[in-house]
Amino acid sequence: MKKLTQLAVTAAALAALTVGSVATRADETDAFRGPALAALKGKTIAYLPISLGFDLAQAWGGTIKTEALRYGVNFKAQDPNWVTSAMAQGMTSLIAEKPDVIVTQNPDVQSLARLLKQANAAGIAVIQMNMQGAVQTDAFVGPDFIALGEQIANMMVAKCGKDTQTSHKVSLVEGVPTGGVSFYQVEGIKKVFAQHPEIKLVSSQAADWDASKARAITETVIQQNPDLCGVIDVWDGQGVGTGAAIKQAGKQGQVYFVTSGGGAQASCDRLADGTFSAFINYDAPGMGRDAWTAIMIYLQNKQKAGAIKTQIYSPTRVMTKADVKAGTCWDPEQYAKLLR
Amino acid sequence: MDDRTKPQSMLRHLNQEKIVFILTIVLFILFSIILPNFLAANNILSLIRSVAVLGILGLGMLIVVLGRGIDLSLVATMAISVAWSLQLISSGMSVASAMTVGLAFAVGMSLITGILIAYAEIPSLFATLAMATFVYGFGRAHLITGTDVVYLPPDLGWIIKLGQGHVLGVPMPIIVAAALALIVYLFLRYTKPGRFIYAMGDNFFTARTGGIPVRPILVTQYVLAGGIAFIAGIVTATSAQAMNTRVVNSNMIYDVILVVVLGGVGLSGGRGNVRNVIVGTLLIGVLMNGMTIMDIQYTVQNVIKSLILLLAIVVDSILNPRDEQTGQQGDI
Amino acid sequence: MATTSTLAKLRYRFVPDHVIGELLSKKWIDNAIPFLVLVCVVGLFGTLIPNFFSVSNLAIQARELGEFGLVCMAMMLVIVVGGLDLSVGSNFALGNFMALALLNLAGWPVWVTIPAVILICGGVGFVNGFLIGYLRLRAFLTTLVTLIIVRAIVDMLLLKYSKAMSVSFYDSEVWDLIGLGGVGGVPSSFIILIVVALVGHILLTRSRPGWRAMAIGGSRRSAHNIGLSVRGTVCAAYTISGMLCGLAGILYAARLGGAGTDTGMGLEIAALTAAVLGGNSLGGGRGSVVKALIGAVIVLVMTNGVLRIGMNSGSGPMVLGLTLLLAVFIDVRWLKNRDKLLSKVYVSPTLVELPTPRPTDAEKGGPLALNDRLRDVEIIGLDQVESPEDVLLDENDYLFCGTRHGDIVRFSPPHYTEWEVYAHIGGSPLGMAFDKAGDLLVCVGGMGLYKVDRDRNVIKVTDETNRSPFSVVDDSRLRLADDLDIAPDGKVYFSEATIRYEMHDWPVDALESRGNGRIICYDPTSGKTHTAVRKLVFPNGVCLSHDGQAILFAESWGCRINRYWIAGPKAGTVERMLDQLPGYPDNINRASDGTYWAAIMGMRSPALDVALRMPGFRRRMARRIAPDQWLYPNLNIGCVIRFNDKGEIVESMWDRSASNHPMITSMREHKGWLYLGGITNNRIGRIRLGDWADKNWSSYRSYWGARS
Repeated sequence: MKKLTQLAVTAAALAALTVGSVATRADETDAFRGPALAALKGKTIAYLPISLGFDLAQAWGGTIKTEALRYGVNFKAQDPNWVTSAMAQGMTSLIAEKPDVIVTQNPDVQSLARLLKQANAAGIAVIQMNMQGAVQTDAFVGPDFIALGEQIANMMVAKCGKDTQTSHKVSLVEGVPTGGVSFYQVEGIKKVFAQHPEIKLVSSQAADWDASKARAITETVIQQNPDLCGVIDVWDGQGVGTGAAIKQAGKQGQVYFVTSGGGAQASCDRLADGTFSAFINYDAPGMGRDAWTAIMIYLQNKQKAGAIKTQIYSPTRVMTKADVKAGTCWDPEQYAKLLR
Repeated sequence: MDDRTKPQSMLRHLNQEKIVFILTIVLFILFSIILPNFLAANNILSLIRSVAVLGILGLGMLIVVLGRGIDLSLVATMAISVAWSLQLISSGMSVASAMTVGLAFAVGMSLITGILIAYAEIPSLFATLAMATFVYGFGRAHLITGTDVVYLPPDLGWIIKLGQGHVLGVPMPIIVAAALALIVYLFLRYTKPGRFIYAMGDNFFTARTGGIPVRPILVTQYVLAGGIAFIAGIVTATSAQAMNTRVVNSNMIYDVILVVVLGGVGLSGGRGNVRNVIVGTLLIGVLMNGMTIMDIQYTVQNVIKSLILLLAIVVDSILNPRDEQTGQQGDI
Repeated sequence: MATTSTLAKLRYRFVPDHVIGELLSKKWIDNAIPFLVLVCVVGLFGTLIPNFFSVSNLAIQARELGEFGLVCMAMMLVIVVGGLDLSVGSNFALGNFMALALLNLAGWPVWVTIPAVILICGGVGFVNGFLIGYLRLRAFLTTLVTLIIVRAIVDMLLLKYSKAMSVSFYDSEVWDLIGLGGVGGVPSSFIILIVVALVGHILLTRSRPGWRAMAIGGSRRSAHNIGLSVRGTVCAAYTISGMLCGLAGILYAARLGGAGTDTGMGLEIAALTAAVLGGNSLGGGRGSVVKALIGAVIVLVMTNGVLRIGMNSGSGPMVLGLTLLLAVFIDVRWLKNRDKLLSKVYVSPTLVELPTPRPTDAEKGGPLALNDRLRDVEIIGLDQVESPEDVLLDENDYLFCGTRHGDIVRFSPPHYTEWEVYAHIGGSPLGMAFDKAGDLLVCVGGMGLYKVDRDRNVIKVTDETNRSPFSVVDDSRLRLADDLDIAPDGKVYFSEATIRYEMHDWPVDALESRGNGRIICYDPTSGKTHTAVRKLVFPNGVCLSHDGQAILFAESWGCRINRYWIAGPKAGTVERMLDQLPGYPDNINRASDGTYWAAIMGMRSPALDVALRMPGFRRRMARRIAPDQWLYPNLNIGCVIRFNDKGEIVESMWDRSASNHPMITSMREHKGWLYLGGITNNRIGRIRLGDWADKNWSSYRSYWGARS
């Protein structure tokens, strides 16, 4: 408690100093820089993803933390390690601690919804990354997953649709079915498939973001349908397992496999070795940048938490083996180091 | 009178191993008849292959359970030691030395577990539970610095064959499992420590009074289990192209225990053999494979699988009811 | 020298050494180590986390504790009956899912949903209980399988309904009150936990079903053999455990309102960890609600703490694992060594300075001079009675005595060769007296004060008194009622020799020589019992003075006889009447000429007298050498003395050659004879008294007058 007050006082003093010096320095021509910096200085960002142990969360966190430290914003991260209840607990504690901004990621559509509403009500801005919850807050940063699903489904239709000489059998590997990434993506995919009755969706099972589960499911599906035409996995993290199952069955090249993700090095490797046939990259470091932008807008405009609600849809691009060059993908290790 | 008692006494001879074995055979025949693809050589191989890792871990568990212990840290040891090895290779270490480091880690951690159980006299359930949590936490905090899934580095050399190779058309995981089963069988059957483990599981205090060096043997059990876990990890990683450390938080360790106990290995020690583990593993394999071919959904498969497991232990307890008078206190 | 001695006196007077042993012997001291861990964990995280002790944070923690504590209690309950429930996490997830599904999809009201979910989860528990209790399956394996089954069923349901559920949001005031609200800042789930914990605690420690559960966990076989319904109780335990999980699941659903696949994942490990950290023993018989709650708080504070500190991935589990190892290690050691420690520190001798004994030399003369007057004692019932501590005669000359078999034996006049068991009480019958109605009142060691009425019915008079406010040991139960007498108003005054030891451990009390005993008064008009005088050194014989104004009582290890005034101007005070005795006084009874008889059950020895002045020496003796080699008061030779109201000894009777009746714990004058009892004897003695004794005097008549 004491420490915190001390910190706040120091921060306030520092902020005052900066403002003062900026105002008095005659050679500073940028009149807007001073207030902008002052608005950022000494603020606190709390980062609470579902886990700090995977590429997306590391890229987002690493990007935001780098920028935060540059402008004197406090940054702290918590790691619930894939446990929803631990995450809810962390969120509840954060609401009591009152940071200025919470950057989080919903484990599923509902579990955090109430708490996010409470956080907004308590005057804390909430930025949801990638996994959209049932409640809209200051910003959602992530691709438009319904559109992304439609895009993937159309790619699949092009390879396995009625104009092709295939079995038209497609398998879909979901994540946590209620998790935003899976929930909305599957919605988009099914919408397209509904318009293409020739596509036979032989399986649509949940792998819960777990590569080994995805592998077990896909192994089963390929055994049941040796003539499978295509597989969609909603996330590359578990897509690794799905791809391994395809490879194991000796179907690599025969089964068209599309997945999507943040574009970490592992995805490029899988594209290069042919595990992934195509990959939709929504560039996680870019999402980190979008989130930082949202934070800057919120802090500088001194708006009320939850007053302005924006869907910040991330740009995506389709990648195939041909697009993989050195440096195309990023190294999660480098961001993980930043968060340690 | 005689006619009526005979079948009953025959039933009395049925123990859990036989029940599970009969169940496996019945299911096997049933699937062979109703499922056209079931008997194909390819399918049988993939059936065994899918449970090979489970079987290998089961062997490690067997060694511990025979001495009236339990090892809940097998999966954690497996995941962290192998993931660390893979990461070391990625960061430039040679395959051989990285594997040695990984193995040393696995053995070292299980050595600590063994010492805690043998010398500090902490019950095995808690010692291994705590060590599982510790190994996972330590690994994630200090060894595996990147993502929690460690992918296979591109050039692994011969090691990759353990997961993906074939010998005479038989996938390597099956060969590895079979070889390990043979080694463990010979160890338990023909070596002094192996016999001592049975003696200790049968009656720990008699064994100690009889002059068996119980504490070193206890430590040996856990060390062997740790080593086997490392091998299982290599097979898993090379065949799945990655080592997912999150497997520690899954139900996998329960599956391992089930495979062991289902085959008729007594959790109270001294009773069981490699044969029991094989029977238990095969039942799971046949069951999963059959249901897969029948196109039953993954989650439903789990329900059916566990119901059949329940059936097996219920039948056993009806045929061989435990007696209030002879039941051991604290035997859970 | 003098100052050290004063210091030593003060030290032994005011430092309550005996309390350590008494604390260690309490059942709740079992929680000391877990509680210490709890304090350390809370202290550590309290300093590391800012605002940890703020009201809002405590409320947050308490809300989650409500859920987790219930699951831990569910685990504790089955552990107590000697089982294990690994399916708690899955069952919790099922409860969470069913609550949300019934509210959101089926549209049931909250008050129907809650009991329905509790029943469903109780059903899962019942399946476990049926399999484990009735079919005798192994708990570990069975609940492992139900864990997987229930988890698979929840997964299946989730796949089917979760999308539909995530679209709708259940909103109602009651539901929000349960999940988000509370009473006066205290979260609802915490209130529910406290209520359940209180009920559970009372059930487990103060009710028959609870005792049965503990008995079954302690020894299933013995419980079965004494006829307890082992199977039903085990089954019930699992069913209740399932219901508690369901309740916890409802609270979780109300708090978060989301059904994820990882709900309750690994909860069984967390609950098991908590239960063991709290000190519940796997295998059964040792466990309590408090233990479960202590464990729950430790685990919750730790898991939340490492998350809040924001350590990198993995540090949390690492710390948790190490703590579990450490705590179990300490608990194992504690459990193993607690009894050893207790037996070492329980005996706590104190400083006693006995005044020099009066001379007994035959040559020097005096009332205590050794003589041979007991050599000619007539022997009654040789080898027919064992340990007749007290003897008593009624108006018709029948002779009564107690035996160590718990019988009251009656010898018939005039020859006292025929005898019968007059009544069987049990315990060790010690002092006896007739009340006005002619009913026999008996102090029974280990049982209390009993009455045998004229129809030989055994009736318990009292076996407890008021508890002293600051006593650590529970002194409300009577451990060693010793001797009694009855005042003219009918009040029964009796002595309890020690509250710290059982009867057979009397020598250890002698080694302590602390004021562990008391005089207790039973009032037949109100039926109430209360302690009259405390802190007496082994109070033994009790006798009403001839004028009915005072109670005389012996303090055996103090070698003195006191007077406690019950009427008159000095009522309520105690005064010393006779001390410097050469031995340890036992029973006191009236003599026909207005004096009193007292038995000296054993003689002081100079060695023990010196040892009594050296409490440190006796403490070392108690800790380091085997009990059979300790210094004890000897109880093989004694005498009978007669003294008057002024505290002057009139005469004494000895068996100098120790051949006929040397060991005496009681004596009773009756019609010119003196009857003798001794607790280590196999006989009763009697001797004709001199001419001074009234040949028609009897004890009954002396108290109650001639029977009309």
